[in-house]
Amino acid sequence: MTRDWWKHMVLILGAIIVLAPFYMMVSYSFKSPGEIDRGEGGFFGRQEMMVDERCVKLRDPNRDEIAAAAPHFPGKTDNEIRLALLAEAEADCSMRPIVFNYSKAFTEAPLLRYLLNGILVTGSIFLIQVVVALPAAYALAKLKFWGRDTVFALVLFCLLIPVHAIALPLYIMLAKLGLTNTYAALVVPWTISVFGIFLMRQFFMSVPDDLIDAARMDGLGEFAIVWRVMLPTAIPALLAFAIFSIVAHWNDYFWPRIVVTGNRDLFTPPLGLREFKGDGDGSFFGPMMATATVIVTPLIVAFLIAQRRFIEGITLSGMK
Amino acid sequence: MVTLDTSSRPVRRAASPTKRQARTAWGLTAPALTLMLLILLVPVAVAGLLSFTNYSLGNSGFDWVGIQNYERLFTRSTYAKMFIATFTYVVTVVPISVGLGLGAALVVNSMGRIGDIYKTIYFLPVMATLLAMAIAWEFMLHPSIGAVNRTLEMGCGTWLETLPFFAKGCADGFPLWLGDRDYAIWVICFIGIWQGFGFNMVLYLAGLTSVHRELYHAAEMDGAKTGWERFRLVTWPALGPTTVFVVTISCIRAFQVFDTIEAFWPQGGGPNKSAYVMMFAIFEKGIQQNLIGIGSAITMLFLVFVMFLTLIQRWLVERKVHYG
Repeated sequence: MTRDWWKHMVLILGAIIVLAPFYMMVSYSFKSPGEIDRGEGGFFGRQEMMVDERCVKLRDPNRDEIAAAAPHFPGKTDNEIRLALLAEAEADCSMRPIVFNYSKAFTEAPLLRYLLNGILVTGSIFLIQVVVALPAAYALAKLKFWGRDTVFALVLFCLLIPVHAIALPLYIMLAKLGLTNTYAALVVPWTISVFGIFLMRQFFMSVPDDLIDAARMDGLGEFAIVWRVMLPTAIPALLAFAIFSIVAHWNDYFWPRIVVTGNRDLFTPPLGLREFKGDGDGSFFGPMMATATVIVTPLIVAFLIAQRRFIEGITLSGMK
Repeated sequence: MVTLDTSSRPVRRAASPTKRQARTAWGLTAPALTLMLLILLVPVAVAGLLSFTNYSLGNSGFDWVGIQNYERLFTRSTYAKMFIATFTYVVTVVPISVGLGLGAALVVNSMGRIGDIYKTIYFLPVMATLLAMAIAWEFMLHPSIGAVNRTLEMGCGTWLETLPFFAKGCADGFPLWLGDRDYAIWVICFIGIWQGFGFNMVLYLAGLTSVHRELYHAAEMDGAKTGWERFRLVTWPALGPTTVFVVTISCIRAFQVFDTIEAFWPQGGGPNKSAYVMMFAIFEKGIQQNLIGIGSAITMLFLVFVMFLTLIQRWLVERKVHYG
């Protein structure tokens, strides 16, 4: 243990640098604008009641409202009533900074919609990838047919092409088809995962032929074999692939940035955060960091719960 | 599962089932093949063709301009800056993130179960949405209220002020970081390393599990006494395949850097275009300015770089392992 102290020193220093932005992100999401400006309040901030200026301004009483409220304040002048109403509004508009930041995150922009979009897009990408890749992987691994080697060589060649790199021609093709600013545009380029085909093919190679022969004896067609025999055996590999695919597409910013312009209904979480940053003024650091925290949290929590699987899934690309 | 009756198996192995199997096989691969063609191969061809034109979206026609687009790439100063920024980033981020990944893996691996805590922490940036973390870093690096400069200011008035960097910082203020063209690209590199080294560490940890204990004993017998010699003689050669893979994937990821740059400087790619990397150039020229010819030319160059890297990797790996 004494021999290891320097190792801990180095690793802890590294850990501080790695964790610093996470710490700051979560901490800012708890603090009031003043505390952020002055850099005080520790991790949680003091959580003193703060007044949301915008909310008060919106409730600035006009002449009619003062007249309507007059019966409640007998014997007072209009000005006194106005001040009383303002005080009331201020009381209603004051809240703890943490509540302010997180409620603003969800009300200033339709964050919930963005999150649902994110789930919808990542989910459909993964499902389509599996539906396309699994049969092809099975055919390449277990069926003998003329041209199989050529197809596999093509798969290996396509592994060389990163989809982000060909974003421009893909964008042009989608624009020609009138598909930009649609869910389809967010999903289509990712429907084919050459890597998925390669990976599942390697996995299927290790499935014993007897299992498939037995299924054929039972009268199952090849199509049924893929989904009823091969799919269940492939669950561990599929899970790893799912993590790989979901992490990549939940966090992807480049592609959505290209094909979704303006139409907020289609924004994925990173785009929503970007928009927030674009039109935010100085006082909105808190809500923005709350948004960032909300976006980052699901994957981090899932990772902390199922670390081993996640590390396997992400490093999958390293398996041979 | 039904038990297998082996005696009846040969019956199926007739000529017609073989043909039927071939037909099913093509049926099963057809969707994948079609998509591969439409989504991966056709766009490469399209980019290749358009890189010789002056096409713009919305125009009905276009002219062939020969190699004019490529000529511009190699003569204009904007693109010179693009190549410099891209290669600076790749040449900085790849060795450092691979080195840190290897170092962290070796140290973490040597400490047993406690090391797992560090492994978890170092892996967090890999999972986190890079755009969100870029914005967090932007706040940290804010010249006046950011945590980085506040921490540095604490060094003022102490012995640290004897260092030139601190002396200058305490007198005239610490750097603007993202607004300073001398620092901008290095900040981007730093964030790239911060995000990527945990990934490399995990790959190296996986590689280390395959190094046999006996090899270390054998090396010790042969006189490898120090830790460095054991590393040089046993660990490093055994990690060869992992290193090839880690370096390649780090290069490909480094070439694709975009999120941080777009988040910090939505226009222009940094102060004085000091962080104008290729992906950002494709985005700016091709998508925002609708100069598709030049965007396609950058795309083609980009593909050439990436394919070249992957081919080197395959060549290195296939001398040892074969797919199949």
